Amino acid sequence: MKRWIGPVLSFPVTAWLLLAFAAPMIVVVLLSLHEYPSPFGPVIQSPSLVQFVKILTDPFYLSVIAETVLLGLAVTAISALLGYPLAYWLARMPSKWRALSFAVILIPLLTNVVVRSLGIMLLLSPQGLINTFTGWFGIPPVETMLFNHGAVIIALAQVFMPFMVLALYDNLQNTSPRIHEAAESLGASPGMRFLTVDFPMSLPGLRSGVIVVFLMATTSYVSATLLGGGKVWTMGMLVLNEAISNLNATMASALSLVMTTVGLGFIALATLWLNRFMRWRQGVPSSPWTIPAWVATLVDTVGAPLRYLLLFCSIGLLILPLVLVMVQSFNDVPLATAAGFKGFTLEWYRRVLIEGDYTSNFVVSVKLALVAVAIAVALAMPAAFALARYPFRMRPVLLAFWMLPLSLPGVAIAVGMLKLLQVYLIIPPFAGLVSIHVVVILPFIITLLTTSAMSLDRSLEEAAASLGANKMRCFLLVTLPGMAPGIFAAALVGFLMSFGEVTVTSFLTTARLTTLPVRIYSEATFALEPTAHAISALLIVVTTVALALLGKFVRLDRLYSR
Amino acid sequence: MAMNRRQFTGLMAAGLAAPASIIRPAYAQPKPGDELVVGIWGGAQEKIVKKHIEPKLVEKYGCKVSYVLGGTGERRARAYAERGRPSFDVLYLNIYESRQAVADGVTQPASPAVPNYEYLYPLARNGGYGVAFNPCTIVYDKTAASAPITSWKDMWNPEWKGRIAWPNGLGAEGISALMMTAKAWGYGIDEFDKVVEKVKELKPFAGIQGSQAQLFDMLDQNVADLSVEFASFTRMYAESRNPNCAIAEPIEGQAVTMNVACITEGTRNQKLAEEWVNLHLSPETMLAYANEIYYSPTVNNVEIPPELQGKVITAGNVDSLVDFDWDYINAHRSEWQAKYDREIAG
Repeated sequence: MKRWIGPVLSFPVTAWLLLAFAAPMIVVVLLSLHEYPSPFGPVIQSPSLVQFVKILTDPFYLSVIAETVLLGLAVTAISALLGYPLAYWLARMPSKWRALSFAVILIPLLTNVVVRSLGIMLLLSPQGLINTFTGWFGIPPVETMLFNHGAVIIALAQVFMPFMVLALYDNLQNTSPRIHEAAESLGASPGMRFLTVDFPMSLPGLRSGVIVVFLMATTSYVSATLLGGGKVWTMGMLVLNEAISNLNATMASALSLVMTTVGLGFIALATLWLNRFMRWRQGVPSSPWTIPAWVATLVDTVGAPLRYLLLFCSIGLLILPLVLVMVQSFNDVPLATAAGFKGFTLEWYRRVLIEGDYTSNFVVSVKLALVAVAIAVALAMPAAFALARYPFRMRPVLLAFWMLPLSLPGVAIAVGMLKLLQVYLIIPPFAGLVSIHVVVILPFIITLLTTSAMSLDRSLEEAAASLGANKMRCFLLVTLPGMAPGIFAAALVGFLMSFGEVTVTSFLTTARLTTLPVRIYSEATFALEPTAHAISALLIVVTTVALALLGKFVRLDRLYSR
Repeated sequence: MAMNRRQFTGLMAAGLAAPASIIRPAYAQPKPGDELVVGIWGGAQEKIVKKHIEPKLVEKYGCKVSYVLGGTGERRARAYAERGRPSFDVLYLNIYESRQAVADGVTQPASPAVPNYEYLYPLARNGGYGVAFNPCTIVYDKTAASAPITSWKDMWNPEWKGRIAWPNGLGAEGISALMMTAKAWGYGIDEFDKVVEKVKELKPFAGIQGSQAQLFDMLDQNVADLSVEFASFTRMYAESRNPNCAIAEPIEGQAVTMNVACITEGTRNQKLAEEWVNLHLSPETMLAYANEIYYSPTVNNVEIPPELQGKVITAGNVDSLVDFDWDYINAHRSEWQAKYDREIAG
């Protein structure tokens, strides 16, 4: 194998990240080494580790790190537990319904994180849906469901579970029916087949999903701020406080780097641990999993009802808050968070559709997301193949570098960008925003495309080559169509990530380039009207109709399944 | 060198104008097509300025007004990063941010170059141009109170134990709560440790409220019964959603907080920015703010209509607002925030 192929394929994405991400990252590192915060001081000063010593010797910071990690683990576990049955269900959905079924995860992703968190509040509040429902059976309302760790974990799981589902989906739907037939012909019961075939083969997707969800959960702050009621602390909140409230970019940078280290540590541990169960992927001899008979019997007995129960819970968690958002969009109340239905109104729709309150912001968001996704997919495709097929010496180091934007809190990138703002004022604002959005979504797209590239059946390419197809023809007619579900999933995740990005964008937004999430976020910091619910409801309806129509006329099944 | 009469007259005029130019640099007159960039909160404030200020400015100069919407945090962080080369012309900040920004050379102090400056109350001339008083006070569920609250000390009444949503951090509400605690119990501003110990007596809190929207949810949902919040928003909330919500008028006074319009240092649209601020300080805009969101005028030439009497601050009670030593507070902000995080919120 030619050794230069891997490095060459890795070059485009590495170059982009060096230009658009390494610069603010270096600024963050330099700032973290300042002895004292100095908003107007030079970036390069004599280095000091005093900020890190402060963090690592202060019980408060250590407790927040521990709280954040535990919160991230809980969110990851719930996302995996609820996301797996959903991904399994989607992967086995008849192809004509699959597009519409995807709405279950796409609609939440299209809805702003602030609005989704408000939906969770409407679900859990003392006068919310759950208490109303249990009240019908005479059960007294539980008034302590909000403003605690449980509420934050549920909200974060609602926000991030779709990423777990997308990561698992590609693996699960790639499992060839022939493998199932082989397992059945060898006498495996459905439970045994799941334990020895489906689950092991979905581990690469589970690994990607676990890493992505953990990193996103531990660096987020919006849901924790809205639903934690000040009782829940995360590192993201601390970084934001230091950077924004205290103008202490030095401590914010040091905290960000500590969080990044924790994130990278988690990636290493999760990868090492899960790889132990995937030795078959590395081509080394490994024994098949030994499943005790009683476990298989147990799975055969309770597996199906448990799966449907978890599926019901996951769909409920994803959809119910959005139903409440839609109801709230017709509610005649002054603020988006007002509890209880006070009266029917179309005022919020009039504001959106006739006064065009959000039109320009929506257009900016869509343009930005489309351009960012096109560039990110073009950069990530070669990188995915470099990772999947062309091992080279520097690959682990490069992979760590490519994943860094994911583990560095968005607000930290923003802190670095603020220092570089004068440079970015010279660059056209749209190009500046695109470059940063590409950085933010690249880790997701690389992860999903790599998982997809690793799942490709290489015997098909060998067959094409043996029939005389040259490498380009083979790539265009065999490899690329084989990657289509992965590319679709990656582009979709990238679009939604970019469309919803608010943390870094709010720092770089200009008078002519205010995105929809930044606009909603800006109103939420003052007084959010139900207009935000109205535009979210419109997006939900448009997405559902578009998916239904696309599924009917464009043969999306060709796209989803090979 | 010979000099003709015209040249001599020109030189004389320049010489006479020189002192004025030393006092105040000459700024270019606005011309059609100029763009004024205003950083302001989204929502109601954005709507009010778009309705009451922008049309008049555009009509007069043929200029364009663009907005950067968001919270003061991001706005201030960006303005600090751009000090001397701002992308904003006018920046809206809160009371302590605006005074710090002037001290740090990010924004300009208030000046009589804005004609309506002369009507500003002295309190509103610090840190830029105060455009709205928005005092902070105790707000509470009156059905949970054995008697109306008349003092900041009433928060220590045992009936509120476990029912208080203390405001988050050292923002406007948070610092108001802490400083009014100090005033009520007789602590000096340099006795922050004592203030913290006093506040800790109120624990456990029902929650820490991070915004008025969150507080109103907590009140709606019976999670908490008392907090410290802006009187203006709370009045709107009480009138539209919760008639049981009361706004206290403690004997120690209400804490002054204020929205401030700040013209950035280095703006390329000085005249337009001054004209914008002047329009904001006009009686029409002040009344619009008072009518729509109960923000109190900061100028003394506004006649408050009877229906707003008692709901906004008027000339007679501006002096009752309690102001703090913001320079001292800003100098100790990081240290106090750390203590707050660990001992009050933690």
